[in-house]
Amino acid sequence: MPLDVAPVVRAYETQRTLNPPGIPALAPMPEGETDDTRRICEQFGEDIVAAGLHYGNQVVYVDPGRLKALATVLRDDPELSYETLIDVSSVDRSHLPLDGGARFQSVYQFRSYSRNQHLTVIADCETEAGGGDSAQIDSLTGVYQGAEWPEREVYDLMGIHFTGHPDLRRILMPKNWPNHPLQKQAPLGGEEVPFTFTWDDPEFDTLGSQILPAESTVPDLPPGMSRQNMVINMGPHHPSTHGVLRLVVEMDGERIVSIDPDLGFLHSGFEKTGENKRYKDFVYYTDRMDYLSSMSNNLGYCLTIEHMLGLEIPERAQVIRVIMAELQRIASHLFWLATHVLDVSGTGMSLLMYATRERERILDLFEMVCGARLTVSFIRIGGVWQDLPDAFVAELKDFLRVMPQKISEYEAMVTEAPLWQERLIGIGHISAEDALGMGLTGPMLRGSGVDWDLRRDRPYSGYEAYEFEVPTSDSGDCYARFKIRLEEMRQSVRILEQAVDNLPSGLYRSNNRKVALPPRAELDVSMEALIHHFKLMTEGFHVAPGFFYHGIENSKGELGFFVYSDGSAKPYRLHVHGPSFNNLYAIDHISRGEMLSDVVTNIGSIDIVLGEVDR
Amino acid sequence: MGLEEKVPEGILTTSLDSVINWGRANSTWPLLFGLACCAMEMIATGTARHDIARYGSELFRASPRQADLMIVSGRVSNKMAPVIKRIYDQMLAPKWVIAMGICASAGGPFNNYAIIQGVDKIIPVDVYVPGCPPRPESLLYAMDLLRAKQRSESVGAWRSVEEPLAVDEIAPLSV
Repeated sequence: MPLDVAPVVRAYETQRTLNPPGIPALAPMPEGETDDTRRICEQFGEDIVAAGLHYGNQVVYVDPGRLKALATVLRDDPELSYETLIDVSSVDRSHLPLDGGARFQSVYQFRSYSRNQHLTVIADCETEAGGGDSAQIDSLTGVYQGAEWPEREVYDLMGIHFTGHPDLRRILMPKNWPNHPLQKQAPLGGEEVPFTFTWDDPEFDTLGSQILPAESTVPDLPPGMSRQNMVINMGPHHPSTHGVLRLVVEMDGERIVSIDPDLGFLHSGFEKTGENKRYKDFVYYTDRMDYLSSMSNNLGYCLTIEHMLGLEIPERAQVIRVIMAELQRIASHLFWLATHVLDVSGTGMSLLMYATRERERILDLFEMVCGARLTVSFIRIGGVWQDLPDAFVAELKDFLRVMPQKISEYEAMVTEAPLWQERLIGIGHISAEDALGMGLTGPMLRGSGVDWDLRRDRPYSGYEAYEFEVPTSDSGDCYARFKIRLEEMRQSVRILEQAVDNLPSGLYRSNNRKVALPPRAELDVSMEALIHHFKLMTEGFHVAPGFFYHGIENSKGELGFFVYSDGSAKPYRLHVHGPSFNNLYAIDHISRGEMLSDVVTNIGSIDIVLGEVDR
Repeated sequence: MGLEEKVPEGILTTSLDSVINWGRANSTWPLLFGLACCAMEMIATGTARHDIARYGSELFRASPRQADLMIVSGRVSNKMAPVIKRIYDQMLAPKWVIAMGICASAGGPFNNYAIIQGVDKIIPVDVYVPGCPPRPESLLYAMDLLRAKQRSESVGAWRSVEEPLAVDEIAPLSV
């Protein structure tokens, strides 16, 4: 029997009736054409429903029967050569004026690294006869191996069946979960907040003592595993899995035959929550996804919404954002280094203490600008929350003076150590071809020799103005990824030095009062500022109907946000592409044939944060 | 006056409660168990600047059998709840629980289908720490409150606590 803590079901919350007429609306069709869409249209003719540009992204609507053929051409045509399927998501359009259109759409993000192109492909899913709550579409796992987990996630949360998928199981929710939570008719869930609770309430005496029995369900043996081999359970409570990750490891003697990761122990319903929050309110949730890089999460989300709004960001705000994102990258890598060494050596407490010493200094800097150490919410839509305090620049310069020699110190402690090399060199090897096929990003990709960094190749927030190098390595093992992350910290220091020297004066937040809050001082003197503040705080701002995918280079890889707007003040669909989720998919491939102790090295080398894997 | 006059010098008399509680309050070993964002602050509490070793609690044990204190550091999902309950049952009495952060205390910002609105629905909680996440100083203050509670407890009280289930009574979790 599963644990009976089922939340009180609440109706789908929306203020749809308050919306102006014309909302909700469908996203408009793409317009114009590019070289790629023209070439696709030439090859597929009538099967392309629409193609062109939408919010600056290339978008192709394809007939679902030809989806797989299109994916094959995208991968194999040398003129197109989209090597990677970055992300799979889906939209349940049942609350939109469909006019006979399909209820479910699946959305694919393709990336060509060699040609620096991004392409969004959308296909209608065939709904079952009678208009049920499930639909089906061809699986792309035969073309891009990396589609396996994202498609399982779409099936789990949205209920779309992928025909031809080798292993279509739930991936995040418990296996006996009654519904597919992201479908629009599924309730948000949760409980009534007892605002009326008083000391006199008879229930007060028992508050917090309703201890329920928790009975476990016996998990199945993952498909493909044999009882002839030893099956070892690792996690969800394990010191080396970096959180609540469960790995079912099949072993033949000392060697690993296969690994089946069991995710979802930290599934928090971010995407469903996002659909029920106004655009500006979701910034606070992004902090809690990859809680080691809150600033980068804020940045990725805000950039997506700002692009949809067509908002200009002041120069000073852009530089402040770069400073914060790079500080966060250093902090995240420091924590990765500390835990990686701790996991691998088992006794590496000293490096944990050293690395967190520098990390605390970065957290102090964050505290100076926004008062929080971890969940910062400093980067807001339109700019940043407030200007840098006076002492910040001096403090940052002092940190930058110290940091390079500290990185060298850490490097000296482990890089040449024979035990460290023994545990890392040649372990967790992945070739460039596999890394591309699996949709890996970040250091996992660069460690296999693919020279790609979104900051350099698809710059955002003014990264084109900074000089930095993108470290790569051809060896593709844990040691290569270790060296790349150390070098990335050095390059971040370099970017920070340039940013702090060229910090312009001016606005720290956009002056567009329809989107960004007026400064506090203005509220005391201006009636209009009060009105804007009131409107933003109560209703929020509306985003024109449409959808947009935008990715940034997080410390762990490409962090992408896909937002579908129906014109109201809340996102109609909000999907997060977490780099940890796709990178973790490689754990099975890179661990096969290695020892059990190497799994710990591989987890550390992938650098996962479970908050982002499970979302 | 009384017993103290009769015993030789260098011998101290005390009650059994206070000497055992003195030991318990000064060496509470937490479980090495992190859930979400709060776990990062829990680790920060263990490192040099905040130094939880001052409380005798620097030894985070990975096995619930060796731990006295469970710090529930983060949001508890429906899928994780049976696991947490099970780990708590595996800890030997006396044992204490700190609900760290608003998610573990009451669900926090995640009032939705996935998250249990407070870990006190499945296990008893001794100290609730507000914050999202609480600063390391807050956790240390919670340790202070817990120590006060530990000192006020009677040794006999823990004897009446229901024994955890024997291993063969629990459904197997692993495959």
